[in-house]
Amino acid sequence: MPSAVPTARETITKFTNCRILKGDELVEQDLWVSSGTGKIVRNQEAFYSSHAVPDHTINLDGRIISPGLIDVQLNGAFGFNFSTVPEDPSTYGKVLRQVNKSLVQTGVTSYLPTLTSSNKEAYHQALPFLGPSGQRRLASDGAESLGAHCEGPFLNPTKNGIHPREVLVAAENGFSDLEDMYGSENINPTLDPISNAILPPRIRKITAAPEIAGITSAISDITSRGIVYAIGHTEATYEEASAAIAAGGTMITHLFNAMAPLHHRNPGVFGVLGLAKSLPRPYFGIIADGIHLHPTSIKIAFNAHPDGFILVTDAMHLVGLPDGVYSWNENSGERLVKTGPSLTLEGTDKIAGSSITLIECVNNFLNFSGCTISQALKAVTSTPSAMLHLQGVKGSLESDADADLVIIDEEVHENGARSLTIDQVWKFGSKVFDRDE
Amino acid sequence: MRLIIREDPTSASTYIANYIIDRIKSFNPTNKHPFVLGLPTGSSPVGIYKVLVERYKAGEISFENVVTFNMDEYIGIPREHPESYHTFMYKHFFSHVNVHPSNTHILNGNAPNLEAECVQYEAAIKAAGGIDLFLGGIGPDGHIAFNEPGSSLASRTRVKTLAYDTIIANSRFFDNDISKVPKMALTVGVQTVLEAREVVIIITGAHKSLALKKCIEEGVNHMWTLSSLQLHPHPMIVVDEDATLELQVKTVKYFKSIEAVSASQGFEQILPSKVRTGPRPIDNRIMIPTEEVKKQPTIQSPQPVTSTLLAAPATEYPVRSITPDLIPDRMGSRIAAY
Repeated sequence: MPSAVPTARETITKFTNCRILKGDELVEQDLWVSSGTGKIVRNQEAFYSSHAVPDHTINLDGRIISPGLIDVQLNGAFGFNFSTVPEDPSTYGKVLRQVNKSLVQTGVTSYLPTLTSSNKEAYHQALPFLGPSGQRRLASDGAESLGAHCEGPFLNPTKNGIHPREVLVAAENGFSDLEDMYGSENINPTLDPISNAILPPRIRKITAAPEIAGITSAISDITSRGIVYAIGHTEATYEEASAAIAAGGTMITHLFNAMAPLHHRNPGVFGVLGLAKSLPRPYFGIIADGIHLHPTSIKIAFNAHPDGFILVTDAMHLVGLPDGVYSWNENSGERLVKTGPSLTLEGTDKIAGSSITLIECVNNFLNFSGCTISQALKAVTSTPSAMLHLQGVKGSLESDADADLVIIDEEVHENGARSLTIDQVWKFGSKVFDRDE
Repeated sequence: MRLIIREDPTSASTYIANYIIDRIKSFNPTNKHPFVLGLPTGSSPVGIYKVLVERYKAGEISFENVVTFNMDEYIGIPREHPESYHTFMYKHFFSHVNVHPSNTHILNGNAPNLEAECVQYEAAIKAAGGIDLFLGGIGPDGHIAFNEPGSSLASRTRVKTLAYDTIIANSRFFDNDISKVPKMALTVGVQTVLEAREVVIIITGAHKSLALKKCIEEGVNHMWTLSSLQLHPHPMIVVDEDATLELQVKTVKYFKSIEAVSASQGFEQILPSKVRTGPRPIDNRIMIPTEEVKKQPTIQSPQPVTSTLLAAPATEYPVRSITPDLIPDRMGSRIAAY
């Protein structure tokens, strides 16, 4: 029986006979990971310096190793909605830990728990649980939060999607309104009481509409704290969106959805991918569930800026649950209808997020676009990692990166469709999921 | 000298890889009695390593009891530099097979005392029992390892300054910037290679055909250091057709016929059994070479009379008697006294 206490001894695992994702290519190369450091081993140095030999060698028979998947927009999973604070707040952390352990089995090794628009109390209660959770570097903790993603409440009421309109507000006083809404200790770096180290803010990313009063002027205050500012749920014109990019915005939340569509005389938010004002092009999230966007729109967006293309699920807490009607907003009594992969607000045809897993998005994108496997995997590994300024730590198989991996089996079906299946998931150099077990 | 001619570089590489595998297998190496393999870097051997790795992955050969010594390494570039020979060996061979890291030896171009590093390297080769098979390639000027034209044929492991031509040629690996190219290297000497019990050389491509001609059709010459192989008891050169362009038709046909005849007789051109299995268990391997005790040669244990420059491996000295010294005597002593 495996001991619950991790052994101090470091185990080095070598994967061989595999194709690993490096840049834009799948390279046939061995990969060494250490459970001691939780990182990818500089294997050549270990070989010559410490004469290290792997404790285990795993022959993958040509399967693919990708960095662990990163979902930058996940509203909840396995019946748990990050935005719903239970009556007894102490259970929040407990359920969250359980969700992390389940989530990692879907191949998502790190993610941004995303809060939909809520009132101030909800942020103050939930955010303390949602900050970066990987400090302990324990594989048994499951999926790791890289910090919270606050989607709202500074959104345009006409593009609210399923966010309750009554909680949407403006930031008349600029950044101090954000501080007040989310809580100063959540939006600012804090001091660790024990080690005196400076901890990053619990919030990693904020989605807000640039045309809402006070937002564009607050962008520099947001980004100076290491928080990513994303344009979303907006009526912004091309000019307003460009101004937000010029102020330091680097991301667009679910491109095409909850924003003005591309018009040839007013290209809107999509226009900033056109490089017309010689501004850097932002990253952008795409929901490839086949419902939110037409496959061709996805391909157009990809071709506009392949290096900024990030696949997100925008999944609700209903992922994995059976079809039916589920409660959504307890105050207003609104409910969600789950029919297969589709999720709508009861009584309307409004899309209410998705209930798709990230690897399913990757498979959809592969078949919608006909792109290569490495291009599709990049959109859930190195690109989101670069957006979060985590190059070389997450979403990477370079030496010294965190050893978060997924082992992927590639299948080509009779009708020509390609699909990737997650066979194993490794977190910090230890196996946490195996499809065959 | 065995000269094996194959159609193209791939089949030449495959021939050598298979040959090495057969040698290791018939040697039957153990932990106490490992097979000692000398290894090169460069573009020609890449194909050989590829086949060796494939055969290892197919489970047909194990490198568990193989000790390796590399020919050379640059001085002054980091060990993890993409162009270092450490990186080359790791990338093309060591990382793919089960050779134990402590069994690999590559000269350390960042050693604080480079001369001591060279002396130590020679001692390590001796301690391992000498090299059973030294694999090598050559440059278009006929150099083996970094023993460029004019290197002493009696040279041992040492620091070597690179020829300007070599530096220019290497600059393509260093952003075409000559200032970044290492100017010095550590290399085994010609004599170090010749002391191996067997030497196998791969030569492919038309640009090396002149070197091949100089090395096998003409005399031993320090301007073509590989020509010293003519003094080795068991050399083998494996080439592709392109590399034979400068050879005489007669030479090519001769070596092809030798191979064909021996194949028709049902055997390859194999080595004497003593060389094939190496000197079986050496009980006390000495780390530091001791002073050689000068012994009077006898018929039972002859000593070489050739110069050390031309010395073949110690196990291979031809047994030949020494003419006894003349002892002057009186004629009278031979006549029975009346």
